[in-house]
Amino acid sequence: MTRDLTGLKIRALRREKGLAQGELARRAGISPSYLNLIERNKRAVAGALLDRIAEGLGVHRRLLDEESDRRIVDALEEMPADPLFAHETGHPGATVELVGRYPEWAKLMLRLYQAYQDRNQAVLALADRLNRDPFLGESIHQVLTHVTAIRAAAEIIEDEEALPEDDQEKFLSIISSDARRLSEVAQALAGFFDSSHVRIGSATPMEHVDAYILEHHNYFQELEDVAADLLRQSLPGEPAEAMLTRLLKADASTALPDVALSPASIRFVRTRQLIAGPVAEAVKNLTEKAPALADEEARRLAAAALESYAAAALLMPYDAFLEAAEASRYDLDVLARRFEVSYEQAAHRLATLQRPGAKGLRFAFMRSDPSGYVTKRLPLPRLPLPRYGTACPLWVVYGAFQTPGVTARSYGELPTGEQFFFFARAVEKLSTPPGYPRRLLSVMLALPAEEAHRVSAADGLDRSSALVPVGTVCRLCPREACLHRQEAPLINLRR
Amino acid sequence: MSETRLLVVEDEANIVEALSYVLQRAGFLVETVSDGDAALQLLKRERFAAVVLDIMIPGMNGFDILRAVRADPRLADLPILVLTARGQAKDRQMAEEIGASAFITKPFSNAEVVERLRSFTGKSQQGEEG
Repeated sequence: MTRDLTGLKIRALRREKGLAQGELARRAGISPSYLNLIERNKRAVAGALLDRIAEGLGVHRRLLDEESDRRIVDALEEMPADPLFAHETGHPGATVELVGRYPEWAKLMLRLYQAYQDRNQAVLALADRLNRDPFLGESIHQVLTHVTAIRAAAEIIEDEEALPEDDQEKFLSIISSDARRLSEVAQALAGFFDSSHVRIGSATPMEHVDAYILEHHNYFQELEDVAADLLRQSLPGEPAEAMLTRLLKADASTALPDVALSPASIRFVRTRQLIAGPVAEAVKNLTEKAPALADEEARRLAAAALESYAAAALLMPYDAFLEAAEASRYDLDVLARRFEVSYEQAAHRLATLQRPGAKGLRFAFMRSDPSGYVTKRLPLPRLPLPRYGTACPLWVVYGAFQTPGVTARSYGELPTGEQFFFFARAVEKLSTPPGYPRRLLSVMLALPAEEAHRVSAADGLDRSSALVPVGTVCRLCPREACLHRQEAPLINLRR
Repeated sequence: MSETRLLVVEDEANIVEALSYVLQRAGFLVETVSDGDAALQLLKRERFAAVVLDIMIPGMNGFDILRAVRADPRLADLPILVLTARGQAKDRQMAEEIGASAFITKPFSNAEVVERLRSFTGKSQQGEEG
């Protein structure tokens, strides 16, 4: 399948302008048959020839550029991965044509789909709240209790002729005390809905930040540059790591958060404090004008994420890290030792190795706590990662909690038939006081199954025998017969 | 003439107060208890004509009491009127499966409770009030 959009766009624009193929070919100084090949994507076109064609069409060259369209293609191609479309065959390969020929319609479709996803997630979040919120359940119980007492007492006063005065007083006081408690519960309930409105609203900024980071494929040249500049300040003959240690030592006066952090986390926090100043301007430039970041909260969250990104870039300089990753076959333990970082930091950095021209493997990244709350995620095309609702319990990101510190791994097949290699490890984020439950987080990376042979974590695991049928979010998964099913599918696709 | 004894198992003091009053006025002798464990001990030890049982009570909950009562051959036929919250269809279904004799949803009317208990105990209005 061709991935090239330019030919299709040239044809669409030419027709729009009412130009014959021969005429445009003449203007561009090529034969009509060659232009025909270009328009059918049989010949690549770039450089001076593309300039001449743009001129012949009377459009700016940028209009024929495909970088922004490519993103739309990528995003649209993720759509069929949605369980909603699990039983549709779709038109694989037609996405490029769609975007090339009807870019406005493609954008519209994408916006519609994104809005659907947002609403879907909001619905799941709300349903969770209403069904499981202990506060709501308890409040409703209290309302019914107080109303019951009020009704019973009121009926006695009403029905009993010649009720003795002290009984009358007793039941009036019951009515009054339960009415008071009822109004307290009612106020608390009203407050709950007020504040839950705000809280549900604030679920979206994180979505914006995710979208923003994805838009950049989790790679930020500007931040890499700041880190690289800082690292150039090394003394003659001083290796980067030694220089960083020296800088951190000089900066050691800065206060640390009041928790028991691991040495790697302390190093990371200090590095973040160190780079916060130098990187401030780049972060501001990146977040201020980003259309994906719709509000102040989203910009604040994005800025924090970018600061951490820059700190990681300083601790794990791009070129050295990529080289070490390739050399070790993406062995996270080797990388963590070599760069004096935690397993999680190394894993997250792996997911940023997307510099054009010097790319590492592209990983999906996900971090969850034992209750399934996802705190960091970076999906892959065709591998959507859940944020809300009950995720698929078969994912190793959850299984890893059974053996903390040990890598859990498996091949998984999504309902769409796509296969991925997943590997995860539960790590201790903070050390906790004796007798207090350990605070574990599970960190998972995933990549298409075809690429797993390049990763040491997959060694010795047979893809055909270790393949697990998995879903994404339980309620959205069409595998009705799954033994791990917790909830009925929200959408019955077989109807 | 022996009086008809009822046990009311409910932890909300004001509801207990009102229910006891209404049931006593209807001619019943009423014992009340506010937690599940005490309720079961009392049921095993003494004889009651019927029980009013709230599902949401501290200690052993209403379901546990129902199960324990039905497991005891001497209490297997004891009429039990279960109080549930309106809308708690699941609670109701479960209580029915494990042997509740009837249900009343909160908020209930006093007359409804009296009526139900009279039908359980065969106690006619005229007979006792006279």
